[in-house]
Amino acid sequence: MAKRPVQPSLVRNRIALAAIFSAVCFSVIAARLVDVMVLGAGVTGAITPVIVHPMRADLVDRNGVLIARDLPVSDVYASPKVFWDVSEAAHGLAEATGAEEGRLLAAFAPKRGYIPVQRGLSPDRREAVMRLGLPGLTFEDGYKRFYPSGRIVSHAVGQVDTDENGVSGLELGLEKHLKGSKDGAPVQLSLDMRVQYVLEHEMEEAQHAFNAKATAGLVLNVRTGEVLALASLPDYEPNARTLSPGDSIRNRMTQDVYELGSIFKIFAFTLAIEEKTVRLDELINVGKPLKLGNHYIHDFERLGPLIPAAMVFAESSNIGTAQIEMRSGPTKQKPFLKKLGLLDPLKTELPEMASPLYPRHWEEVEAATIAYGHGISVNPLSFAAAAASVVNGGTRVRPTFLKDEKVQDGERIISEETSRTMRQLMRLVVTDGTGSKADVPGYDVGGKTGTAEKAENGSYAHHLLISSFCGVFPISDPQYLVFIMLDEPHGNKSTGGFSTGGAVAAPSVGRVIAKIAPLLGVRRTDTVAAANP
Amino acid sequence: MIRTLNFAFVAITCVVCLGVYRTAEKARVEQVEMTTTRAEILKETAALNVLGAEWARVTEPKRLQALVEHHLDLTDKPGRALTSLSELPLKNPPLAPEGDIRSIKDVVPQTPLPQEPAAVSQPAPNAAFATTHTGT
Repeated sequence: MAKRPVQPSLVRNRIALAAIFSAVCFSVIAARLVDVMVLGAGVTGAITPVIVHPMRADLVDRNGVLIARDLPVSDVYASPKVFWDVSEAAHGLAEATGAEEGRLLAAFAPKRGYIPVQRGLSPDRREAVMRLGLPGLTFEDGYKRFYPSGRIVSHAVGQVDTDENGVSGLELGLEKHLKGSKDGAPVQLSLDMRVQYVLEHEMEEAQHAFNAKATAGLVLNVRTGEVLALASLPDYEPNARTLSPGDSIRNRMTQDVYELGSIFKIFAFTLAIEEKTVRLDELINVGKPLKLGNHYIHDFERLGPLIPAAMVFAESSNIGTAQIEMRSGPTKQKPFLKKLGLLDPLKTELPEMASPLYPRHWEEVEAATIAYGHGISVNPLSFAAAAASVVNGGTRVRPTFLKDEKVQDGERIISEETSRTMRQLMRLVVTDGTGSKADVPGYDVGGKTGTAEKAENGSYAHHLLISSFCGVFPISDPQYLVFIMLDEPHGNKSTGGFSTGGAVAAPSVGRVIAKIAPLLGVRRTDTVAAANP
Repeated sequence: MIRTLNFAFVAITCVVCLGVYRTAEKARVEQVEMTTTRAEILKETAALNVLGAEWARVTEPKRLQALVEHHLDLTDKPGRALTSLSELPLKNPPLAPEGDIRSIKDVVPQTPLPQEPAAVSQPAPNAAFATTHTGT
């Protein structure tokens, strides 16, 4: 049989079919190539590791020193029914985890249930537990906040709860920053751990030397408003979940308000100089107690009878200050203190901030007593911010706990001239007045002492004092303010029995300045003068 | 001819399929390696974090001060005793510009050396030599 010739149309159809088939194959291959090589499908997803970041970002000081960090920890649980020897397991687990052996033995004895052995195990302790080779153990991984510096910054930094939520201090105030930090970048605080340590150390020494009930202090940059150190004693150990006897979680710098006494004369004189109601060489009669209504205003020691207004400030005369304040009167004093931020709660990153207490009816008598720091209670941080606003050239300073070296461009409160005059007066307090023990050769410290009697049972108690000193250095071009306050100090032999601010707080401020000035790179004024004759 | 082409296309398709499979497999293996490496990095990072915290703990100023007081004979220095390198005075004044340099003979009066005895060969007295040549 002769072979039938293939028809040309059939050949063309076959070729077309083959071409379509090849095109489809290549399309599929090309699509898969794009899928695998460009889009990366099929190989990712299922085996991508689950990256568990700490819940909160690190807190570091202005120099990058670690203040708080989440560390990996494990909670370990045991199922005692699978233990061969319960007592051996309890002994091994107690040794490896630090748990109480008796508790474990009692819990394991019924040989049922799911028993928590220990919470917050560090990685090395977890390894030790693993090495025991016990069956029936379960680990739950998590993080625990760790504060390497312990007590030193406890009040400023605060704490978190067991679920890693901030409950106090900057841990609460900066919650959004700490939980929303991109890639776990640390949150940099304005605190300087070196300065913090020096301040806390000197406060401890003073509290011990004068048997004070409590102490509070801070170091503030008067230009940028950055708080370099803030401490309150007694403090507490933030790594322990419980308080030891004598510990306190109360931050006296922000949570408590005090009548701060003569240290408030800074504001009385600032107003008088700004309003030009006093000349510094003007003689003021301070020879006799000043009668206001049914009240008498006394001085701590007899002065005068006639002393220049500048010495009224330097020697801290209540009588003289009250007379000077009354020239301005309550109508000018109240708005001035409000402009300084002393009549409103201060807004900072620290959430614990007490509101000031001041009289509802602000008349002549109130104005006179407020002039020397009685009749108005503010928290020490608000006072320090207001004092910084006076000495920094006259612009409002708002304290911050975040590193920000930009000079604050706050609203002008007083003229530069008034600020300069106040700095001269504060220097006079240290050279010729009540604050001589705060002097540090080479750093030209200026400041003001404060000694306030505490109110007890409706009247002022002469033996219960709040003694403080506010120092500023170098006074010619202020950079830092150091404030220390002692609650109920008792004078000793070194102070001649006195427990005034000049006797108990000023020396501590002087020692803090002597130690931190070189650390902060503040040039001594004597070398500056030598370099620029 | 057509048949040959068909075979060629099929062969090419098979080769490409093999190539794709190989690429995919290579990518998968590398992905596994990357996962392992990433897990190791995480583990090392966690260990570094722990070490960093421990370092902060052991270098805490209060602890260091206690150690220094116990082991070293150091005291607190007042700020006056501390300074920076830039504030230190120079031991010698800076050199004068080259054009101002004069001959030592112009500055230091030349003292004649003592006459040496002709017969005995001895060096010049040290003090006189030093005075003449160092300008002290």
